[in-house]
Amino acid sequence: MFDVKDWIRRAGWVDWFLLALRLLVMAMVGGGFISGLLHPRYGRDEWLSFAAFGLTIGAIYALIALGYTMVYGILRMVNFAHGDVFMTGGYAACFSLVACNRAGLLSSQPLLSLFLAVLGAVTVSALVAVLAERIAYRPFRKGRGLAPLISTLGLSFVLEYSARGMFGAQNRSFPSLPLIDGTVDLLGLVMPKTQLVVMLAAVITMIVLTLVVMRTKIGTAMRAVSEDQDAAILMGINVDRVIVFTFALGGMLAGIAGLLYGLVYKQVYFFMGFFLGVKGFGAAVLGGIGNIPGAMLGGFALGLVESLGPAAFLDGLGVDSPYQLRDGIAYTMLVMVLIFRPRGLLGERLSTARA
Amino acid sequence: MIVRLPTTARRALGAALLATTCLVGTVSMSRAETLGGVTDPIGVVKVAKGQPVFIGGMMVLAGPDLALGLDASRGAEVAFDDHKNMVVGHPIKYLPEDAGCSVEGGQAAATRLAANKNIVAVVGPACSSEARGGAPILWNVGIPNADTSATAPALTAPDRPVGLQGLARFVYNDADAAAAAVVYAKSLKVTKVATLHDGSLYAQSLAEKFGDLWKTGGGTITAAEAISPSDTDVRPVLTRIGSTKPELLFAPIFTSASAYLTRQKPEIATMAKVDVLGTDAVLSPAFLEAAGDAAKGYRLTGIDNDPKLLGPSYPALVAKYKEKYGEAPIAGYHANGYDAATAVLMAIEKVAKTDAAGDTYIGRKALRDALLSTTGLNGATGPVSCDKFGDCAPSHFAVFEYVNGDKETFELGKNPKKVYP
Repeated sequence: MFDVKDWIRRAGWVDWFLLALRLLVMAMVGGGFISGLLHPRYGRDEWLSFAAFGLTIGAIYALIALGYTMVYGILRMVNFAHGDVFMTGGYAACFSLVACNRAGLLSSQPLLSLFLAVLGAVTVSALVAVLAERIAYRPFRKGRGLAPLISTLGLSFVLEYSARGMFGAQNRSFPSLPLIDGTVDLLGLVMPKTQLVVMLAAVITMIVLTLVVMRTKIGTAMRAVSEDQDAAILMGINVDRVIVFTFALGGMLAGIAGLLYGLVYKQVYFFMGFFLGVKGFGAAVLGGIGNIPGAMLGGFALGLVESLGPAAFLDGLGVDSPYQLRDGIAYTMLVMVLIFRPRGLLGERLSTARA
Repeated sequence: MIVRLPTTARRALGAALLATTCLVGTVSMSRAETLGGVTDPIGVVKVAKGQPVFIGGMMVLAGPDLALGLDASRGAEVAFDDHKNMVVGHPIKYLPEDAGCSVEGGQAAATRLAANKNIVAVVGPACSSEARGGAPILWNVGIPNADTSATAPALTAPDRPVGLQGLARFVYNDADAAAAAVVYAKSLKVTKVATLHDGSLYAQSLAEKFGDLWKTGGGTITAAEAISPSDTDVRPVLTRIGSTKPELLFAPIFTSASAYLTRQKPEIATMAKVDVLGTDAVLSPAFLEAAGDAAKGYRLTGIDNDPKLLGPSYPALVAKYKEKYGEAPIAGYHANGYDAATAVLMAIEKVAKTDAAGDTYIGRKALRDALLSTTGLNGATGPVSCDKFGDCAPSHFAVFEYVNGDKETFELGKNPKKVYP
């Protein structure tokens, strides 16, 4: 049982500072929330819309976060180039749909166009991720220190500026799919079909991923390598093959995220992986890096806080232009969660043998 | 290992740093010099016989807003061509630097330019944020700049800081742009307007100026919102704006954010039918490339392209531009770049002294004063004359509307076409 007197006796200035910080943030959040309730500005539809926006971007964060978390789970390495793998998927999907549009398929064969876009995004992203593993990461796998981290950062810049050189520095318009244009009435909430499709696609993708990891032979091997690589080798598991598969799987998820991002936000550009990659990494950490359900939860939580936070907390405090501060809210929440739960929302269910 | 200095030593070190900072600040702007018979309070540039006169460029030349800077830079190059790339008997060497349309980019570009002691003047900046970051660095070493498309009122305000006093503006002032947007909004018979900016100096000051004028005129600002320049999801902020039920959204934001706004607005039921009024920050093919067909119907304020309001040399400028670059002007700032470069050359011709050996001497303060007192220049934008704060350009505004989402159809006057007045 928690002993207050004992805590007071043992607490240093850092403990007091963290306690004060928690109380301050809780007071601000609570005060803003209550003040917002007392002076309601938004109706039910607006709140539901904010939640839908948050779930949509959260789904994309979650898909990106899964790539980070799977690689970390296997290699205990943060792959900072993963955001740019997502960017290559976005471009591949964009070019696939542009080609379909030119061929007239977008309106005559929308499902085929969508399939080709998925295929293009998944193939390109998986290929880039596998090549990255082979060229930039494998040579450093046995190494110690910061070399792998620097390698991932370097590769990130290589991918960004290669895209800039090949596709230009300007934002490109992402073609709309007539199939999912328009709105849908969902229990009284009118929302764009695109958002619904993105959320469903993300959830389906995550279910498939869970099945792959939990019910297949290669998924079992992934979990074994994640638990203890040396023991996995002794059991006859080809670790190199598992690692390549993990990168490919993460790349596929990033490719799907790139396609979904383009469908919702309608633009792609060479630097898009940087900000989304940071958010995806934040979501993975929030959920508990190395933990697959945690990455999903972290993504959706981050998206919801970004979308609902400014209206729920800052409006009530009378802050002007609160949506300019949504990244601030999201990362403050991330820091607060990590102060309360350093291992993230769902902790890390991994062996500590190699950590 | 951390070495802790005694308190006295730390105080002495702090005092020394402070004194050094003050000394550097004082010395950098007060180095009177006499060279070749030319005396100038802040230095003299010597151009040896046969050597070029270096003129820098500080423009956004990459990224989604590159059209702003590239168009002005091309206008400047045409002006140099019109002078046969010679000034006071020396060839002109033009050195453009990318300033990225940001404070940091402006600082970096200006630092690179300031490191070249042979540069006498700079054409640019092209964005107000670049000006805020870069202009003080340039003027700190005595390099005046001829602004081609940075329009924030603060740059030429009577109380502007010393660092901005080397800047002469050859584009309109946003105080006038805001007034023109207000006039247009009133013509739509609306009373409730919301504003949206992206936190940049340009967008924020223009949105605030518009808001002030609109409220002074009896209108209502239902929401004054902001996004971050890197925001890709503007639907939450549009939902928030929509809850205030505006009849018009004034959004002086840049290419990328405007394209996100244009494509996501139809998804917000309360905003789907609300008109948006942007500015010439999106007057470029890059906006069409990013927004696609959603750009159709997008309206923006910009300089009136009526030939009667522009200078007599404007048609020739456009013809030379097309011939030199193989395409029509890519934005609305080529004439400003042309006039800024012409004014720089005129100022150099006015103050430069060439001795018997053919060496030329240019006083930096004298050049700045000559640039900021430009008068009677019959420029491509019309009659150019500077006031005492450095505002030099004429300003006649119009409202344009995009009629096609294909970037290949971009041509000022056709797509976007003029719709007001």
